[in-house]
Amino acid sequence: MDFLGQFWNNVALGFSVAGTPFNLLLCFVGVFLGTLIGVLPGIGPMTGVALLIPLTFSLQPSAAIILMAGIYYGAMYGGSTTSILVNTPGESSSVVTCLDGYQMAKKGRAGPALAAAAIGSFVAGTFATLMLMLFGPWVAGIALNFGPPEFFSLMVAGLTVVTSLAGRSLVKALFATLFGLAIATMGIDNQSAVPRFTFGNPELLDGLEFLVVAIGLFALCEVFVNLADMKEAVQERLSIKGSLWLTKEDWKRFVPSCIRGTLSGFFVGGIAGAGAAVASFVSYGLEKKASKYRDELGSGAIEGVTGPESANNAAAGGALIHLLCLGIPGSGTTAIMLGALLMIGLQPGPLLFTQQPAFVWGLIASMYIGNVMLLVLNLPLVGMWVKLLDVPLYLLLMFITMFSFLGVYTMNNSVQDLYLMVGFGVIGYLMKRLDIPASPVILGIVLGKLMEEKMRQSLVISDGSVMIFLNRPISLFLLFLAVVAITNPYWKPIGRAIRRLFRGAPAR
Amino acid sequence: MKEKREERIASVVLIVFSATYLAGAFYIPMPVFKQQLGPGAFPIATGIGMLSLACIYAWQQFRGGAKVNEENEEVEKRAVIIGAEEKIEKKADLKAMGFMLAAMLFYAFAFERLGYAISTFVVFMAGVLYLDRRHLVRDAVIAVISSFVLYYIFSIFLRVNLPAGPLKFLEF
Repeated sequence: MDFLGQFWNNVALGFSVAGTPFNLLLCFVGVFLGTLIGVLPGIGPMTGVALLIPLTFSLQPSAAIILMAGIYYGAMYGGSTTSILVNTPGESSSVVTCLDGYQMAKKGRAGPALAAAAIGSFVAGTFATLMLMLFGPWVAGIALNFGPPEFFSLMVAGLTVVTSLAGRSLVKALFATLFGLAIATMGIDNQSAVPRFTFGNPELLDGLEFLVVAIGLFALCEVFVNLADMKEAVQERLSIKGSLWLTKEDWKRFVPSCIRGTLSGFFVGGIAGAGAAVASFVSYGLEKKASKYRDELGSGAIEGVTGPESANNAAAGGALIHLLCLGIPGSGTTAIMLGALLMIGLQPGPLLFTQQPAFVWGLIASMYIGNVMLLVLNLPLVGMWVKLLDVPLYLLLMFITMFSFLGVYTMNNSVQDLYLMVGFGVIGYLMKRLDIPASPVILGIVLGKLMEEKMRQSLVISDGSVMIFLNRPISLFLLFLAVVAITNPYWKPIGRAIRRLFRGAPAR
Repeated sequence: MKEKREERIASVVLIVFSATYLAGAFYIPMPVFKQQLGPGAFPIATGIGMLSLACIYAWQQFRGGAKVNEENEEVEKRAVIIGAEEKIEKKADLKAMGFMLAAMLFYAFAFERLGYAISTFVVFMAGVLYLDRRHLVRDAVIAVISSFVLYYIFSIFLRVNLPAGPLKFLEF
């Protein structure tokens, strides 16, 4: 079969899966809940997806991922609304949107700002989905030839690249990753049936459920963090005046920045594997350099909204390429989704594309549908979303607590999990206070078991020699990437030291 | 400096934790049949990694001087580029946090004993009474909905088993 024929077959298959009334409804519920989460300050996409995973337990795998992807997209989307109207980003990837979005709203141009964000996100999301359709099978095809050593190196590279972008201090971020790997070693070892770190506790034989850790580290941690600044004053809220629609002049400025944002976001998220927050910052930087109106940035330029908003959605879509084709999450949120898929019993990775085409293409089709729904849902309902901010913080905190308990309990009907979750909530707060990023922990937990398995398989192949990771070109390249990712903050000081060394050396 | 002290304590805690984990990894029993790489190898590698990072962290915290400030500036610059999350306010309301922690522990303790509905209602109302008691009636209604009504929605429509507790006789 030729490439194009196969392509159309896949697309048709996808829409036939996603187009069933039930799945359409789930997609709608997903983007709705996602937007709600994105709008509410304090609940980011990670917390939101983690909290809502228990909802998917009773669903078919394809229905579950459609719901999750809807939540993921909706949350990326919803964050921009509050950035523009209230100057409060709903999540980290729309922090940049505040800079110009709020200024635009102050000038009475909230409508066009919201429209620009929505349309930019739509274009970028659609582009990323298209790229996933075109290149996904190709990337998966390459990865199909990977042996255990390549996979091990790929995971090392994935973990280090994401970790190196995860926080202020590389040492802390790396420690967090290893902490995650350490948690993943708890439970019965798959290959030798030896219990590890179970402390004689039968419930720990299966290891720590990642959701217990994720909900503790994100959701309960949010409760503690928010309690600290409960008495904050209510922010000034801007209403939408005038037309929602963009003027001709706006369109002229919108198009180039949207293209720049989409491409840079897709590059950052889909190729470099970094998260949506990084993408939005990169895009804002790019606008500052490339835009014709760069002097207006910061005082309400439409480019400052379009660029970052397109970029973060393109990156969110790009991150799904990593997740689906390679099984490597590119961000905390996709790590949580990976964990959820593993719980359902699906192993994302190159085999998924060939073995479960209905699942993969159904998801892709639902991403299109979700994008359209978001566009339709968001602009007219903006007033309702903003009203959500009237929910008092203390009630919100009680709801987060309640849903955390509900979700974790329904997973295993275990009270011990509840205590562990509270424990991780406290750990999460302490980590936040010490500025240790939490998302690497989740990445470590989710990838830990598989990473260990691949490492041991590789060493069986090579009869115990570690050279197997260096002898294979792809594996070597991936490990090289990992080294670059870890060492890059130190290049400058090292370079300086070397220069100093040579300058100090006596000339002969 | 208080912040400094906090990080120093943390670095020591992390060293102790990593060392304990590493020691535990060495005690993982060998399986009956011999393998290329036993069950202890990966945890040992992880433990060594954690311990060395914790030591570097401690070293960063315990050495003083101007060099650190210069480095902090670099770090802040990097943080802006990668969009790191903002640092949280250090002045935490310890009393409120202690209350919330106690409430959560009670919630976990009571979840099966009192059942979902009663324990949720109690914890919800306790939270409301402690945090903000200006809208008691409205909040009580919300508490009832999110405890009792939600319980029935979950157990009847979604067929999710939540603990009933003493309210077992109300079950369908």
